[in-house]
Amino acid sequence: MNRRDFHRLGTKALGALVKLTVALPAAAFLLNPLRKASPAGADAPVFEGLVPLSQLKVGVPQSFGVVRDQVDAWVKYPKEPAGSVWLVRQPDGAEPPVIAYSAECPHLGCAINLAGDAKSFICPCHTSAFALDGTPQNHVPPRPMDRLDVELSDDADPEVRVRFQRFRTLAEEKIPLA
Amino acid sequence: MRKLLVDWFEDRTGLNGRLRALRDEPLPAGPRWGYVCGSALLAILLIQAFTGLMMMTAYSASSSTAWGSVFYIEKQMWMGWFIRGLHHFGAQTVMVLLLVHLLQVLFTAAYRAPREVNWWLGLALMTLILAFSHTGYQLPWDQKGYWATKVVTNIMGGAPVLGPYVKTVVVGGSEYGNQTVTRFYGLHVGILPVLLAVCLGAHLALRYRHGLKAPANPTPPPEGAPSTYHPDQTFRNSLAVAAILGVMVGLVFWEGGAPLDAPADPSSSDYPARPEWFFRFLFQMLKLFPGRLEWVGSIAIPGALMTTLALLPLLDKVLPSKPLHFLVCSTVFALAGGAGYLTLESFREDMASTQFQEAREKADKSTERALFLASHPDFGVPPEGSSYLMRLDPLTRGAELLDKTCLGCHRLGGEGTGEQSAPDLKDFGSYAWIRGLLEKPDADAYFGKSPECDGMTEWKQNSKLDAKQLDQVAEFVASFASIPADQTVDEWLNTPGVVDHPGNELFQKDCGTCHLIDGYTEGGLRDAPDLFAWGSPRWMKRMIRKPGEAALYGYLEEKQRMPAAAPEDLNESDLSMIVRYIKGDYLKPEAPAAPRP
Repeated sequence: MNRRDFHRLGTKALGALVKLTVALPAAAFLLNPLRKASPAGADAPVFEGLVPLSQLKVGVPQSFGVVRDQVDAWVKYPKEPAGSVWLVRQPDGAEPPVIAYSAECPHLGCAINLAGDAKSFICPCHTSAFALDGTPQNHVPPRPMDRLDVELSDDADPEVRVRFQRFRTLAEEKIPLA
Repeated sequence: MRKLLVDWFEDRTGLNGRLRALRDEPLPAGPRWGYVCGSALLAILLIQAFTGLMMMTAYSASSSTAWGSVFYIEKQMWMGWFIRGLHHFGAQTVMVLLLVHLLQVLFTAAYRAPREVNWWLGLALMTLILAFSHTGYQLPWDQKGYWATKVVTNIMGGAPVLGPYVKTVVVGGSEYGNQTVTRFYGLHVGILPVLLAVCLGAHLALRYRHGLKAPANPTPPPEGAPSTYHPDQTFRNSLAVAAILGVMVGLVFWEGGAPLDAPADPSSSDYPARPEWFFRFLFQMLKLFPGRLEWVGSIAIPGALMTTLALLPLLDKVLPSKPLHFLVCSTVFALAGGAGYLTLESFREDMASTQFQEAREKADKSTERALFLASHPDFGVPPEGSSYLMRLDPLTRGAELLDKTCLGCHRLGGEGTGEQSAPDLKDFGSYAWIRGLLEKPDADAYFGKSPECDGMTEWKQNSKLDAKQLDQVAEFVASFASIPADQTVDEWLNTPGVVDHPGNELFQKDCGTCHLIDGYTEGGLRDAPDLFAWGSPRWMKRMIRKPGEAALYGYLEEKQRMPAAAPEDLNESDLSMIVRYIKGDYLKPEAPAAPRP
């Protein structure tokens, strides 16, 4: 190897070293959102009390906003709206007593509304339609409406508590978002 | 196929040929370390642009969000500390390289014809880079940036005639706030980069037009093939850049990122604002001028220097070249020496000043507290903005308010700011406090300094309670502090452990004769405050708001009473900060919350 070849090689190697020293940390920096469980990051979903059971009518879907503490990057918001759910009370003795659906459409995430006749759900964006039991009524949605975990409190008039979660849109399976 | 594409591209753009011409620039005298500086400067500027772009994806420019977003970059994001650290130390490296580059051009007299225009472009680039430094310094909106910006913009404002107007426009009003941050941000990431790109493009174009200045007494070229810019000079450049970056990376690791002070607090009275080290000589020089003539030091002298430098290529035409060059070089040497002396003097003065050390220590403590609170899962930066981070912390805000509004008369652990005429508030509401009171009511820590409150002293003279009984009463009264805010006397009495408390009977018999608690004790023997929920936040808040209430100290004469704090003077949040501070109800670093899974 002569002097100039050595210089050529050295320039390449040192240039690569300099570029990587800056580019690799920068890549990590940009990919930061992929990191799970940041120290002050999003909480694991917990059950949120929404409404006393007695206020729900059997078979009539009602929507409720989910309000909870949220961490948005560096800001900690106490009691901030996070999303909304549809609650459908089931006939007495049925298990579970209340079904909760996320109002987020599994198609592309618009908020699902009740159709005019209150007999089905419809998404105002791309007309995804669902029966009251959450099954798709046309080919637009990739899967049924997303059921959320529900529990009742121990009170005399139990409070309906829901674990609000988001799921990946367009997927055929229910995949929770971290 | 590949060749076909390359040829087509070359035919349409001619780019490769032009780049090759740059690469193959002949170096008859061989590569030189002296040519490295400009290239290194360019490389570090590119790193600045790149790391700056990275941070733009995470920074939020407003007075309420800037600090929080920088905190997030520095402490929470992957490699955020590294990217920000590189940018921070890169800025300082640019300053050093800039100075070396300037001196080099000056000493080799490269400002002479035909390179006059490039010399001016270089001076313009220097001005732009100084502007970069100033605008970037304040973007985190921390104490350091806030106060430094204030000083720099006030220097601007001190310029004759136009100064005040220029300052108002730059600051975005007369107050420092959202508009200041957005304007400085716009300058730092938009306007200045565009100007820099234009000047730098021209600077480089002219460098290729005139070529590198050949050394005065060239060494014989190395043997073998003749040298060209690439790879012979580029190898040296790469080596220099790698070494400089190595130093920068070392500094980033040494410092663990870049410094971030506590959020900007316009109300702090003792923040020791200092500029970056490369402005220390100016900072120190300003102390030598009377305020009225401040602009001489900050504007006239640097301005005259810049003008002289700018006129240099023209003077070169009129005056004898060599003596001028000698004169300029020796002047610059003298000035550099002077600047070095002022810089050292500034650091030396700070080292010797206990006042500076104390203020710095206090600032460091508040920085530590701010970072602790912001990263605590139970605290975090509040939605109101980072300036509320400290205002919602009882340890910071409560201590500050207590010091300002209470310790003129009260004491806290014996410390106070005025003549004592009220009890010591350390551990107020606790067993220790009440037990101490029952032992010696006329001690200075209790009612010794407020002779109008002599009821307890009188009781003590006649009381027959023994030590054990006093323990029990103290324990009972200390339990009042945990009575919830919405509990009534009846509800409290029905709570298990109250009526059957060993102190209950003693309290009713010994204390209840004076201290009336409606529905529990009779009072009446002497005037005394209602002790229901004594030492709890509700009692303390009531005491601070309305000490003259009949159930508290209404029986005292107005001038003997504690002054009431009206909501206009002390808002609810601040009131609660004081109470929580006294009660020790704040986040403590020793007991961090359990880490999240």
